[in-house]
Amino acid sequence: MATHTGKVILSLGRINVVGLGVKTTVSSVTYATALSTNRSARNEGRLDGQGKGPFSRKPKRLAKEPRTAEMSVEQDWTAVYPSAKPFRPNAVPLPVRMGYPVKRGVPPEKKGNLELIKIPNFLHLTPAAIKKHCQALKPFCTEWPSALDNDDKCDEHFPIKVTSTDYVSAGPSVRNPSARIVHLKVKLSSLNLDDHARKKIVKLVGERYCKRTDMLTITTNSCPLRKQNYDYAMYLLTVLYHESWKIEAWEAEKTVADMEEYSWEDSPSQKNIIDLLLRLKVAEGGEVEEEQELLKSGEVQEYKDSVTRLKNEAASESSTLQYKEAVKKVFNL
Amino acid sequence: MYFQGPKPCLSHTKYNVTRCHLPLKASTSYFHTATVFKSTPSLITVTEEPDTLFQKVSILVKCHDRAVLDSYELFATMAANELGITISKVYEPPKAIDRLTLLKSIHIFKKHRVQYEMRTHYRCIELSHLTGCTAQAYLEYVQRNLPEGVAMEVTKVQSTALLTYSK
Repeated sequence: MATHTGKVILSLGRINVVGLGVKTTVSSVTYATALSTNRSARNEGRLDGQGKGPFSRKPKRLAKEPRTAEMSVEQDWTAVYPSAKPFRPNAVPLPVRMGYPVKRGVPPEKKGNLELIKIPNFLHLTPAAIKKHCQALKPFCTEWPSALDNDDKCDEHFPIKVTSTDYVSAGPSVRNPSARIVHLKVKLSSLNLDDHARKKIVKLVGERYCKRTDMLTITTNSCPLRKQNYDYAMYLLTVLYHESWKIEAWEAEKTVADMEEYSWEDSPSQKNIIDLLLRLKVAEGGEVEEEQELLKSGEVQEYKDSVTRLKNEAASESSTLQYKEAVKKVFNL
Repeated sequence: MYFQGPKPCLSHTKYNVTRCHLPLKASTSYFHTATVFKSTPSLITVTEEPDTLFQKVSILVKCHDRAVLDSYELFATMAANELGITISKVYEPPKAIDRLTLLKSIHIFKKHRVQYEMRTHYRCIELSHLTGCTAQAYLEYVQRNLPEGVAMEVTKVQSTALLTYSK
């Protein structure tokens, strides 16, 4: 007796008949032939009356040929693995072996191999697939402006460099608190600063300025979001720039100890040498020379250069030699 | 006062690149049905907002398995070449091994220990001279195809200008 089932059973050449104590038969023509052979085979195999109990075995599917047997060499592989999927031995036509071999054996074959399933595979990212993907992504890309081909031109037109880091990892949360940190780097030579402004901004920033590379680095991490930190860094740069141009009343009280570099004018060294030369002249001959003329003479200028160099730069052999020569010239030795 | 505007000082027009805005739905349709892409109207909108410029984009990938990183490097470099991005350097920083020594037994037997180690392999791909649109498209593509068990850090150096303060 043929009974209609409520469900539609799709046939892909295999029949999936649930036989848990309920005999379901399908009466449509396409299913009939396969079903009848299965049923007869099943009934013959179960002579000991197992077929009708509540725990009767599911009928075994007939094993088909693996899909790899029907694959041609010219097939479109991107259709077989369009996205990241685990390794399927029946879908990959390669004779891959993976695993540690037993004694006097070879690595196990791909069928039923867990090692091949565990490792991430790149079967969906073959060169052909990458080319296809990039063809689709091309419209969303823009070209780099051809006039900015080297770094120097880039620095000249865009002197400020903003660095930030993104983090991608698997875990309970997508967020990474280190992603909010923003570094802002700018060369002071590219900013519009005069002498006073430059000295003032260097004093204001302190450790953030590197004298060797002339780079000011502002690192902001006090705000919770990257955009906020970026805005804060830009604000700091703006404020520093404007403040360095202002001249406050108390800046007039700058003493010699506050100076960044040594200047020879009105220094004890100048007073000493002028004094010395005047006394020498008085002791020798009696020609009283003007201070200004003494200052303008070549030897005193050389002495001034050598002393300034010694004080400003680190003491080196060449600078001390230069000082020695200058002193000898002043005293005509 | 510190936003970038269109730049009057650069006379070449090519600089004023416009930002491509990608509506989220469109990205899924391109990979499966090529024919649909041709027939639907263009889903790319072009805005007047000036594009950001990245002087350097550095991608550092970390994994416990060196072979996976080899394959990933192949994929990322091929994708960059296809999209026309200049790759300045691809190198392998030395691996880091974290070692741990624990007691082998749950109770006493202090002299018998067991040692574990965690190896982290690195690979660094440095790209230079990217625009904001290209960087966004490339990074999204490369990050969506990150395999399981691989972590990535992307460091971007963006070049900007403050017109009011430059000489």
